[in-house]
Amino acid sequence: MIEFRNVSYKVNGVQVLSDLNLHVARGETLVLLGRSGSGKTTTLKLVNRLLSPSSGKILVHGTPQEEIDVIKLRRGIGYVIQEVGLFPHFNVAKNIGLLPKIEDWPEDRIRARVHEMLQLVGLPQDLAARYPHQLSGGQRQRVGVARALAADPAILLMDEPFGALDPLTRDDVQREFLLLQQRLQKTVVFVTHDLREALRLGSRIALMEAGKLVTILSPAEFLKSSDPWASAYVRAFGDGLESAANRGIS
Amino acid sequence: MTRFRAIVAMVVCCIFLPSCSPSHSDRIVVGSKNFTESFILGELIAQQIEAHTKVKVERRFYLAGTYIAHQAMLAGRIDIYPEYTGTALTTILKQPISRDKQDVYQRVRDAYQQKFGLTLGPAFGFNNTFAMQIRGEEARRLNVRRLSEAAQFAPHWRAGFGYEFMERPDGYPGLVATYGLHFAEPPRIMDLGLLARALKERQIDFAGGNATDGLIPVLDLSVLEDDRHYFPPYEAVPVIRLQAIQQHPEITSALADLAGKISDEEMRQMNYAVDGRHRDTQDVVREFLTAKRLMP
Amino acid sequence: MNVIRFMLHNRSQVLDLTLEHLWLVGWSTLMAALIGIPLGILIAHRTRLNKPVLAGANIIQTIPSLALFGFLLPVPWLGERVERLAILALTLYALLPIIRNTYDGIRGVDPAVVEAGRGMGLTESQLLFKVELPLAVSGILSGVRIAAVICVGLATIAAAIGAGGLGEFIFRGLAMVDNRVILAGAIPAAVLALLADFGVGWIEKRLRPR
Repeated sequence: MIEFRNVSYKVNGVQVLSDLNLHVARGETLVLLGRSGSGKTTTLKLVNRLLSPSSGKILVHGTPQEEIDVIKLRRGIGYVIQEVGLFPHFNVAKNIGLLPKIEDWPEDRIRARVHEMLQLVGLPQDLAARYPHQLSGGQRQRVGVARALAADPAILLMDEPFGALDPLTRDDVQREFLLLQQRLQKTVVFVTHDLREALRLGSRIALMEAGKLVTILSPAEFLKSSDPWASAYVRAFGDGLESAANRGIS
Repeated sequence: MTRFRAIVAMVVCCIFLPSCSPSHSDRIVVGSKNFTESFILGELIAQQIEAHTKVKVERRFYLAGTYIAHQAMLAGRIDIYPEYTGTALTTILKQPISRDKQDVYQRVRDAYQQKFGLTLGPAFGFNNTFAMQIRGEEARRLNVRRLSEAAQFAPHWRAGFGYEFMERPDGYPGLVATYGLHFAEPPRIMDLGLLARALKERQIDFAGGNATDGLIPVLDLSVLEDDRHYFPPYEAVPVIRLQAIQQHPEITSALADLAGKISDEEMRQMNYAVDGRHRDTQDVVREFLTAKRLMP
Repeated sequence: MNVIRFMLHNRSQVLDLTLEHLWLVGWSTLMAALIGIPLGILIAHRTRLNKPVLAGANIIQTIPSLALFGFLLPVPWLGERVERLAILALTLYALLPIIRNTYDGIRGVDPAVVEAGRGMGLTESQLLFKVELPLAVSGILSGVRIAAVICVGLATIAAAIGAGGLGEFIFRGLAMVDNRVILAGAIPAAVLALLADFGVGWIEKRLRPR
């Protein structure tokens, strides 16, 4: 589905990514885990070409990125960021419905889709007329996800989307994410620095450090891994990780 | 909703404001420059039109100079104003000086009609050319009556001129060249209205005034004869917008009545009445028109 | 009050001069907006250009207005009709506030919003017209408001070179040493400035996103 071949990224003389090789399978949730500066956000932004690689090739749906019209590429990929970035001058319905509107969907189809998306992310329908500044953090995050899914993209990119939420809300949205994934089976690339979140949400975890891919393991393998970086992570996060790995409620 | 109304308001402003240029086809606007003689002539034109036609007259006096008055005519902000043929020829048309009164008048009128859509009415009668003045007592003591005789005394004199005279091609530069005048210091530049008094009070010894200065006889000032005929003719004429004539043809006959009605001496008297005796311009003009039986 | 009586007595001329003034202000503010807003958007996106452009507009502001009018007088097409010159000069003075406020308005849009929009697949022009401009419009209009008020003030000086407008009363009053005439020009000019400030401010408030 998504493939990185020997991808490097350099900016202002700094080598942010070196020789990255990665493969994301259809329907899986690949978590990019790492410290700040490890290059995980950069990797994410290379997928929807918000950044361009300095060398190497990236293929999406088997086609090299350069051969795909960048706007088409991005419209086929949902993008959710930590600050959410809801359009403050649009209400919830208009935020969710923006891409469908640009894609010239008929009005009633847009309305139906907004309705559907709100249901999907567990928000009441009367929220549709509200404006972003009238919503709570958790509600905003969910609208962000709804917006990203509105045009039914095959791929979803998420950059620490739940990082700014309080622990209780975060727990809720994580659970809902899992349910959503079960239903929709999107191909998701998820960036986080939280091992617990990675273990809970990811089908595989790609551990990154200093612009290099250290290892890719399933959650269960990660916990038992003898790789120095992986085990350092496990140690740093302390107890109770197994239940997260088992995708239960922690 | 309010957003929409706001956008409408913006669009209205964008269209409305730039199209604000006023037109006044129901009135005649008479302008004048910013010195006494110009007001008097402007007032004369205004009262004449008011007395002999039904057209409403608006006055827009005190325009600060030839260029500004000309611009106001071109833009249609004023319809008539009094100008001098010599000034029009050299300052506005930037053509070389001619000494023949008729020639200057014709050339100016033709050029104005062709280039600017303006025309000249008949001349008022006097020639307000530049008059170089010295104190009467100096003139008698040194026995000097002509400008050609002034060269020998110039190095002992301080000169004073108006601003426009210094800058105009038919002004200071040509004067000193024609008569070989070398003044002790660079001339003082002052307001025209202050020259005569400055001369009388010995702040200056040689003043570049005008032939119709009201204070000449009163302050015992002597005008030096322009014997080399350096200064071109400056007949006072009304400059009129052709469009204004089209819209109100009756003003032509009203102005024709003024042709040649003012002599040099009469202009000096009116100037003195306003400047020297501080009488109201409107009264002075009304008296003049009545005396000339021009008031109906 | 003497001034009021004078203005009423000469109301047609007061109106004429006010309309002339509005004409000068209208054209110059409009042109400054048509040039300055796109320029502001340009330098907000290509930040390498922002220093030279803003510096240029700043330099123009430091030229004393009467001097600028004077410089432009000998220029062929402009000097022939002094209103053109006045409008050009006023437009130049109005540029800095408009460029600056447009630049600030666009840069002030939350970068997360822009990133989300771009990541969604909005084209650069869709991003500009559907996201950045609506969010920056209040800032842009505050620049226009400042520009309009500046133009009303500077247009009074334009009368010194013969462009007409309310300044003519002021200069005439100064020459005649007659306060009524001065005020007959100054009061309407002040009123116009206030109206411009309130008027555009009203529009600005209405268009501000909640």
